Amino acid sequence: MGEILIVKNLAIKIVLCLIALVVVMGLCASVGTQKISLAKVFGGPGDIPGSNIDYEIFVIRLRRVVLAGLVGAALACSGVVLQAILRNPLADPYILGISSGAGLGAIIAILSGISWTFWGGSPITVFAFAGAVATVWLVWCIGRFTGKSQVTSLLLAGVVVNAFFSAVIMFLTSVARSEQLRSTIYWLMGSITDKDPLVLWISGVCILTGIIALIVVCYGLNALTLGDEQARGLGIDPAKTRLIAFGFTAFITAIAVSLSGLIGFVGLIIPHGVRLIFGPDHRQLLPISAIIGSAFLVCSDTLARTIFGQEQLPVGVITAIAGGPFFLVLLAKYSRRVSWLK
Amino acid sequence: MSSSIEVKNLSFGYQPQKTLLKNISFGVKPGVFLAIVGPNGAGKTTLLNLLCGLLRPKAGSIKIDTARIESYSIKKLAQKVAVVRQEFVPVFDFTVAEMVSMARTPYMGTFGFESKADKKFVAEALEMTDTVQFASRPLAQLSGGERQRVFIARALAQNTPILLLDEPTSFLDLKHQVGIYDLLKRMQQEYGKTIVAVTHDINLTIQYADETLLLGADSNYYIGQTKDVFSPQQIEKVFGVRTFTGRVGQEKFFLPLGKFAKDNQIITSKPASSQ
Repeated sequence: MGEILIVKNLAIKIVLCLIALVVVMGLCASVGTQKISLAKVFGGPGDIPGSNIDYEIFVIRLRRVVLAGLVGAALACSGVVLQAILRNPLADPYILGISSGAGLGAIIAILSGISWTFWGGSPITVFAFAGAVATVWLVWCIGRFTGKSQVTSLLLAGVVVNAFFSAVIMFLTSVARSEQLRSTIYWLMGSITDKDPLVLWISGVCILTGIIALIVVCYGLNALTLGDEQARGLGIDPAKTRLIAFGFTAFITAIAVSLSGLIGFVGLIIPHGVRLIFGPDHRQLLPISAIIGSAFLVCSDTLARTIFGQEQLPVGVITAIAGGPFFLVLLAKYSRRVSWLK
Repeated sequence: MSSSIEVKNLSFGYQPQKTLLKNISFGVKPGVFLAIVGPNGAGKTTLLNLLCGLLRPKAGSIKIDTARIESYSIKKLAQKVAVVRQEFVPVFDFTVAEMVSMARTPYMGTFGFESKADKKFVAEALEMTDTVQFASRPLAQLSGGERQRVFIARALAQNTPILLLDEPTSFLDLKHQVGIYDLLKRMQQEYGKTIVAVTHDINLTIQYADETLLLGADSNYYIGQTKDVFSPQQIEKVFGVRTFTGRVGQEKFFLPLGKFAKDNQIITSKPASSQ
């Protein structure tokens, strides 16, 4: 008989993936243009602050690695959930206009030159988050009240809002000064930069809470991918499940985007890659995608900050360049699972 | 494990000024096999959607085991009624085993994992529908008929007292058509399931269904023992098609006659002689 998901097997897979993630994070934090000794790092901070430079550098890198891990996990989860609730394999975290909303918020913060911080968050982070949340709310409201099929309405509302906000972003970019323009473009390309520890803590708690909540509701996503009629027949309330999943997804995506800008490909490629290897059952697809997405972005960011020495690349460039071939390799190896390739 | 359905003065229409089903009343006793037959657009699938709680009546009531259908939560209703819909291909490549195990969703706890009992129901359903050999294959790689058997397996694994089926044999070859109806009959007789099936196949209906609801255009309907519902005159009235009537033992069968049917003239000139 074919495989039915067993809790014990899933727990083993998740634990193995988590161990691999911790190893990857540790290795990536130890890699950089400034060489450090791991022996010294394990020696701790020392009695006098700044006495162990290797440790200090490691901690700064680790913060960045953790940030990349959180953003990667959030984007991968978001991709999984949106592909399920929209029943669309091409859906990614930005399909419903979150990218343009966050982008608009960020560019307003850059152009207005605001310099205050909110709980350690820069104006760009705060405005991007507000823009993302407001856009998601707008798309949900439009999608909710304009059509009979909520899925199609949501997609169309997302496309329309995305197009409109993108036009506003283009207009604002065209009137920006050169240094503002550089900041805007760099943000739009997506990059992981060091953040205030408080921001990291708050974001970490919020993203992990969101992912755990999604894991709790995710068994209903299997039924939801079959359509609303089928889901109801299996005891799942499609509207309620979609609302909860959409809410948490929007929340973690908004946080991820406000922290890192628009990092493409993670939310599209990782869910498909994990689905090819482990199958489409969301009870394992979601947690494993979170871990693999996290590891993928950590590795990509490490490449982005080391590949050209002191000069750093936006991580979005690496994810796009590395993600495509990586996905093609997976597709070639596991194509027997994909019916449309037959 | 039996449940009854009671429909009273049911009316429904997709548009306020146009009523598709008007003032329909019937009951399905526990453990009865009811077929819903009628021409396209008569409202058969709509009626099925009303019986499974997907649509709300404009007027009248539907009761399952004496409780109004609205009083059941979605989860509780899924423990009472399983639905097999017309064939479809899912967006993602679920295997047959994954698809059938989804049937246990209404019984799962917070994190939604199958218990040993759930796995037993899934294994039995795969066995009964002869789909064990496909269990590891993605559903999309099966033929339409094989997929339909998988959906029936899923409905059986849901282990509900009521089974609703929307044209369950529409993509199946003759062997599997009979196989599915044999299986449904076994479910009815051995497990006491109440079965309501929408179908276009009058002859299989006559063989297997205890009662038939013949749904005509303009909200006319006829309900009763299957053997009493069908007659050449009734079929011609509802479907607008003449039939040749034959007999196998005690059971009648009806052969629809088109304009180009061979020996059309001879048969239609003496329709009564064949009965």
